[in-house]
Amino acid sequence: MEVWEKVFVKDGDFLQSTHGKVGCVICHGGNSQEEDKGLAHAGLIIDPSDGNCNTCHQDLAQSHDISLHATLSGFESALEARGGDISEGSPLATAMENHCQECHTTCGQCHVSRPDELEGGLVSGHKFRETPSMQYNCIACHGSRVGDEYLGANEGIPADVHWTQATMICTDCHSQELHGSGEETESRYQNSNAAKCEDCHEDVWTNTEGNPQHEQHLGDLSCQVCHSVEYKNCYGCHVAIDVEGIPCRTSEPSVMQFEIGYNPLRSSERPYKYVVLRHVPTCSGTCDFYGDELLPNFNAASTWKYATPHNIQLHTPQNESCDACHDSTELFLTEEDIRAEEKEANKDVIVDEFPETVGK
Amino acid sequence: MKRLVMTFAVILVLFALSVIGCTNKELAGATPEPGEEVVSTCVTCHTDKDILQETATVEEEAKSEATTGEG
Repeated sequence: MEVWEKVFVKDGDFLQSTHGKVGCVICHGGNSQEEDKGLAHAGLIIDPSDGNCNTCHQDLAQSHDISLHATLSGFESALEARGGDISEGSPLATAMENHCQECHTTCGQCHVSRPDELEGGLVSGHKFRETPSMQYNCIACHGSRVGDEYLGANEGIPADVHWTQATMICTDCHSQELHGSGEETESRYQNSNAAKCEDCHEDVWTNTEGNPQHEQHLGDLSCQVCHSVEYKNCYGCHVAIDVEGIPCRTSEPSVMQFEIGYNPLRSSERPYKYVVLRHVPTCSGTCDFYGDELLPNFNAASTWKYATPHNIQLHTPQNESCDACHDSTELFLTEEDIRAEEKEANKDVIVDEFPETVGK
Repeated sequence: MKRLVMTFAVILVLFALSVIGCTNKELAGATPEPGEEVVSTCVTCHTDKDILQETATVEEEAKSEATTGEG
């Protein structure tokens, strides 16, 4: 996006909209009476979301303020779970400030402009979009895994049926969830507003007649175990500051894998014994640039995490017959699939008992 | 006497309201009536593609070239 294009209010109708009528200066500061560009922009607030939106949208703004999109507490909890000290002034706090804070999302970065991570820019003139753009907002940040899976951008892997069959966009499933649940959480799976398959497919749970697979497995397998296909797994992320003083990160090439493991989040909400697991990019040396042994209890949290890949298919290799799964150890996360230095961290999700061959 | 006090109070309130109305020009000016044209240098420039192209300054690239792999 060109620099000028990012700030071009191309839709004149915006000026007559509720937000447009407020005037520029009230939200953005600056001086609307100055003709000199420098003077007009003195004190300019590029993203005025903080403290402005809650004037009218109090409930949503308050909920957003403690949601993962705002707090990034998912990063904090992952570091703390591994014994990391993230107190103010600590090396890990500096690392978080340099590398994690860029993922913070404001109201405006979903409803008005592209996120900072993509260097901003108005999405539709200055129109306030109640529904964010899937392309310019959601996938702008959630692109390399979920976005690529959903749109079928991974070579040889089909796009999600919710896209190919119904052209559903992210907010069709993920609506209120995106503003949080009104309670602080450490993971998206703790969000009580999180999307569930049964929100639309309730009949699958209430009527299993004629579908012996559902009858047998609804309680012990998550939907993705049977209905998703290979998805992206990332390894070996390292963060640092480059020679020019700019934050940077490196990681190994991603790997397309499909791994069924034991459910690390087993609860009444997610009672399944088996779920699909995704390897997160972290490793014991992720933050080594900032100091030695910054994650002293690295093995206290698994590196293969509960996952919900976004490449759902009705028919998959593992659900084409009972034996496709029952006779295969290939589909399961075993000791052999785990790197030596991560075996301890993942001991609770590694599968050690395989489903018996049907008929035995 | 009571009537005098009441009259004074009403005058005081009316005066206060008129003062607020006069000093809040910026807010009133920034909230035009429907159909009223919003006049400011912000709008003049930011709705004019040519002016924006002419006055645009190229931003420094803040991305590190050392970054590799997917985010």
